[in-house]
Amino acid sequence: MIQALLQFVFTSCRPDAVVDPWLPDLWGRILPLYPLPPGLGIIGPDVLLPSKFTLHFLDERSSGCDGEAARQAPSELHPFAAQVVSNLRVTAESHFQDVRLIEFDVTGSGIEYSAGDVVMIQPRNAPEDVQQFCQLLRLDPDRCFVLKPSEPGTPLPAHLPQPCTIQHLVACYLDISGVPRRSFFELLSWFSPNELEREKLQELSSAQGQEELYSYCNRPRRTTLEVLCDFPHTTCAVPLDYLLDLIPRIQPRAFSIASSMLALPNRLQILLAVVQYKTRLSKPRRGLCSTWLASLHPQQEDVRVPLWVKRGGMKFPAEPDTPIIMIGPGTGVAPFRAAIQERVAHGRKGNYLFFGCRQKSKDFYCGAEWQELVKSGHLTLFTAFSRDQEEKIYVQHRIRENKGLVWDLLSRGNAHIYLAGNAKQMPAAVAEALKSVFQLEGDLSPSEAEEYLTALERSHRFQMETWS
Amino acid sequence: MAEYGISVGQRVAVIWDSSSPVEGLKNLVAKIQALVGPESRISVENIDQLSHSAHAASSFDVVLSGMVPGSMTLHSAGVLAEIARILKPGGCVLLKEPVAAQIGDNSRIKTAARLLTALTLSGLVEVKELQKEPLTPEETQSVQEHLSYQGNDLLSVQMEGKKPNFEVGSSSQLKLSFAKKSASSAKPAVDPAAAKLWTLSANDMDDEGMDLLDSDELLDSEDLKKPDPSSLKAPSCKESGKKKACKNCTCGLAEDLEQEKKESLQPKSACGNCYLGDAFRCASCPYMGMPAFKPGEKILLAENNLHDA
Repeated sequence: MIQALLQFVFTSCRPDAVVDPWLPDLWGRILPLYPLPPGLGIIGPDVLLPSKFTLHFLDERSSGCDGEAARQAPSELHPFAAQVVSNLRVTAESHFQDVRLIEFDVTGSGIEYSAGDVVMIQPRNAPEDVQQFCQLLRLDPDRCFVLKPSEPGTPLPAHLPQPCTIQHLVACYLDISGVPRRSFFELLSWFSPNELEREKLQELSSAQGQEELYSYCNRPRRTTLEVLCDFPHTTCAVPLDYLLDLIPRIQPRAFSIASSMLALPNRLQILLAVVQYKTRLSKPRRGLCSTWLASLHPQQEDVRVPLWVKRGGMKFPAEPDTPIIMIGPGTGVAPFRAAIQERVAHGRKGNYLFFGCRQKSKDFYCGAEWQELVKSGHLTLFTAFSRDQEEKIYVQHRIRENKGLVWDLLSRGNAHIYLAGNAKQMPAAVAEALKSVFQLEGDLSPSEAEEYLTALERSHRFQMETWS
Repeated sequence: MAEYGISVGQRVAVIWDSSSPVEGLKNLVAKIQALVGPESRISVENIDQLSHSAHAASSFDVVLSGMVPGSMTLHSAGVLAEIARILKPGGCVLLKEPVAAQIGDNSRIKTAARLLTALTLSGLVEVKELQKEPLTPEETQSVQEHLSYQGNDLLSVQMEGKKPNFEVGSSSQLKLSFAKKSASSAKPAVDPAAAKLWTLSANDMDDEGMDLLDSDELLDSEDLKKPDPSSLKAPSCKESGKKKACKNCTCGLAEDLEQEKKESLQPKSACGNCYLGDAFRCASCPYMGMPAFKPGEKILLAENNLHDA
């Protein structure tokens, strides 16, 4: 038994391929030791489990049954519907990437935040996707329903109002633009009246079919909705009771807050890069949340976004005289904008920002703001525009160039270093640059430099927040 | 076959030389006389006197030389040329000559191959070796006597040759296929009766009795129906192996071909699964990445879709 477990632990790098043969083996060993109570048996793989909930339609059409619950302090269960104040593109039109500075009005929400905190945003599906989904499953979006648990005691999904409309369920709850998992295909195969589709679904949910499932779904980032389109006979036969078992909830997205309440009371800003890329699928892939937020037109209509605030990972020093070195290329600059605004409001100096982007004229976010602060002496700015000259210059190059200053701030000023941004090569390259600064300026050996950086990290003087 | 290929009434010449025994010659001549019959004369010639005899060209059916048993005759090129001259076209020469296995130095004795060549060069055709046999001891002695040849590797070879069946200097026209055929290229003669039938003289038009037909009457109601444009497309153009529209095509073939050309750029489904979603398509499907479509629905792939994303 322990052997079997160990064997599993050591080979679990590709779980599906290993778990499948391992599980029957494990049960084969456990059952003799701990037999099932008499009268109970193992449910075979050829039995469809009942749905968790059953859906009961109400006679009334949607007439306020989507009513708002009483307001409490905003949280995941009770997000605040913040009004969008502005939605500005901060990159040049000719630039490949669409980056937005979006401002929300959080007046009356009770939301409080400080630099380094993140805002959680609950996105919703695109209207055309919702419409297509309802068409495929032959759903009337205006109908109201209540959920009842199949087994007493099962809590109802907390994020769904009761009663709820189909429209609300599909638009705000079901993650139809996510990449479906293996269990999705397994459950779907039960409902298929079409032999061709059923066999394919079974193949994709089998252990042998995982390679194919990966190349069909995960590699091209195929969405649940697109998969449903590929299996039309099955899709229109899905029992509605199983919808919540089949499709998971839309997960909220976290964004670093890019503004300070001290500078902008009752407002909250985020710096958001609109995710769009191409896979082998002919339709480009779009990030659900960023595409939705970028599509909002606050000047034309009253748009509200459900959000709440969470404490962030980065803490800025409380002592007023501690200088901070901030390394934030690209949208990584967002939390530092909040920190700088906050510190400037407190009249603190000693703000050092290393910012990097491609071109000064195209994606130098908030460039004018920084220039103002540099002029007033609140900020020391180092910029690396990687594409403005023949050779690529990144933030790590600027750190090396200013090694004397960096070392001086660290060793004498007891400065804190912060790093935020894309989690690809940048964090490692910056860590390398910092270590070389320690070696050259602090006369440390390579191993001592390594230790120095680790010590900084341990004492929270070097903090990172990266995302992919 | 009659002996030596001689038949009754033919003219025969028998050539002898100094080595020929007199008895043998007499026997041979008598034998031949019997073959040709009493009416024909046999010319008996000494090989050295042959050219002096001044026989008319093409006067003998058969010439026998060296055929007298026991004779060891050598034929020079001049003798062979004279034999060829006096033979009739199609006439035959039979000769016998001792040959050596190898060509010796400074020797007048030829090899069998050389003899064959000598006969051919003197203008004879169908030259062939009839028989080859070793010399008898007496013959060997005779050779040594007459030809002062010391070796004993000699063979006696009998050869036959024919004069071509045309005269020397005769000419004949060759029929070459590319030569202009004078007869066929000439304009065929007009049958006066036919010409008259097709000639309408001006006088005929004035003739009251001349009955001119209304050409429309020749058409019946079937002919006056307006044809369906699709039936006017020349079927023969399409059925012939290679489809090619003529310049200024009016039958619609040019448009059809243009359409076909466009369609051929669109991939055709071999497996029949292309219309289904990616889950059912093969890895190399050109529709990979596109949504499913209805079977039979025409999907146009943009040019950039045909390349891998």
